[in-house]
Amino acid sequence: MIDEDLARFIESPVMQIIGTADTALRPEIGRGAGAWVSADRRSIHLVLSGWQWPATVINLRENGRAAVTFSRPADYVSYQIKGEATLRSAEPEEVERSGRYLVAMVSTLMRLGIAAEIIAPWLSNRNPLLVSIEASDIFLQTPGAKAGTRIWSAAA
Amino acid sequence: MTLSLLDLEACFEGVVPSIIATADGNGVPNISYLSHVAMVDGEHVALSNQFFGKTSANIRLNPQATLIAVDARTGVQFRLQLTFAYSLDAGPLFEHLSLQVDATSAQVGMAGVMRLRGLDVFRVLEIETVRSTIEPERNASPGRNRLAAAARVVELIAAENDAEGIVDATLTGVETWLGFEHGLFLELYEERHQLVTIGSLGYEPSGIGSDVEMGEGLIGAAAAGGNIVKVSDMSRVRRLNAAVRDSLSDENRTRSIVLPGMPDAISQIAVPLAVAGTVRGALFFESRARLAFTREDEAALSIIARHAALALAFSERTSEEAEAERRAQPPSPATDRGIHVAHHRFDDSVFIDGTYVIKGVAGRLLAWMLEQHLANGRSEFTNREIRLDGGLRLPDFKDNLETRLLLLRRRLEEKRLPIRLMHLGRGRIALEAEGRVRLSREGV
Repeated sequence: MIDEDLARFIESPVMQIIGTADTALRPEIGRGAGAWVSADRRSIHLVLSGWQWPATVINLRENGRAAVTFSRPADYVSYQIKGEATLRSAEPEEVERSGRYLVAMVSTLMRLGIAAEIIAPWLSNRNPLLVSIEASDIFLQTPGAKAGTRIWSAAA
Repeated sequence: MTLSLLDLEACFEGVVPSIIATADGNGVPNISYLSHVAMVDGEHVALSNQFFGKTSANIRLNPQATLIAVDARTGVQFRLQLTFAYSLDAGPLFEHLSLQVDATSAQVGMAGVMRLRGLDVFRVLEIETVRSTIEPERNASPGRNRLAAAARVVELIAAENDAEGIVDATLTGVETWLGFEHGLFLELYEERHQLVTIGSLGYEPSGIGSDVEMGEGLIGAAAAGGNIVKVSDMSRVRRLNAAVRDSLSDENRTRSIVLPGMPDAISQIAVPLAVAGTVRGALFFESRARLAFTREDEAALSIIARHAALALAFSERTSEEAEAERRAQPPSPATDRGIHVAHHRFDDSVFIDGTYVIKGVAGRLLAWMLEQHLANGRSEFTNREIRLDGGLRLPDFKDNLETRLLLLRRRLEEKRLPIRLMHLGRGRIALEAEGRVRLSREGV
């Protein structure tokens, strides 16, 4: 269950990284382009550019195992959510929501002194797909002694 | 195009965090941000291991990993396929990165928390550019020739024959040829275990005479470890600089001079000054630009620092042989103004008319010269006779007399005090007082 605070955090301008692995267990990285929590707060929806991160898409189709990290660039407060993912094309309103995230994220990073042209290569929603991850475990990932601490598990 | 690790230099500056993905034996992925990634050789990278326990565990079960590294100059993302090779917790690379991690953590108030526990070294199997909808600007950095610049600065240093000339040639040479406008030249005073500022560029007040403990901060870490220490992005760093700056009353109370610094510096670098395998001081530069100091700058500054250290050590030797000719002394202005000099023996601090000047060996030197001046009217001194006077208790090993006199002279000038030291040529100085000196010695 994703609590209200964490849901707000996930929907704020934070960097989104998705990790997957292929059948040979080779891990892969992709960047999310907007995320929000489902109404029942059991899942996360994440927009992913199929054009920019094709290997991630293949892994999600093959086995669905995913880990998503949300990290606030101003202070590195981070959470990681693991679970099973499904994939489909993003609907127009989801693409629109992703577009708003991209604008907010660029503004946030620019306020931290990073130039827009530096940020541009990281954030894309070309060929947008919607990844839905049903949370099985949630971890605190902020750098420090408590990094990696499990804060929620569906199994518990 | 085949990419090599050398093409990724700007990814390893610690500006944009790298990301690593690993998977456990069941294929459950894990993502972790990395604070430090370093190139080991053309085929290996080392990743800092402070506390990302899951990554460490995963690579021991499944050695495959994928890294995303970002070129901080262009934003271009690289995808590196890695395989875990071995771990390191000692050796030169570990020491170098450990120093880097400690220094940067200390700056963010996390000293000790971020201590580097180990380095995980990975073999790079493949490097690819992640496609981007935006075509990045190619080669943003202008073609600067750092080798030619280093040669020009070294030429300037080599043309000097005393400590003052060498210190100034180093700082102004770096400003002219490398374009860094804020810097410090610090020398190690072993008896205090401190690095003391003897040259300053671009700061007001100059901070001449300010000190840094060995091992403390960026400068202290570079000197203690004998390695360059660099921060390329301080924008998110809470700086622990003393809040109170250049307050005269404070200086008089604390008997310490505030180390100058730019409150909004983004990049900083400290380069050790070493001669014959021994660290003798450090150079420090800072800039408001992100990534101001490239690897080429590191190499250039390292060459310059070695020449400066060598020239300084050599000048210390030759200052023993004072130049023969005596220069005409400017007549002392005959005023009746009284100048009160207080010398506190417990720390050898000297105050002139209530203004703090300096402490330690330099303070003792000033008090000694004034004593000689009052006792027998002398106002000219050679390094040789200063060294021979046992009463001065100079540290007998590497006494740094030249630079201590330089430090004293600059402090007197900066504080616009009625007592001045004049440089009369190699190994010879003159004391000038604009009035009648009264020396009081306090303590035993």
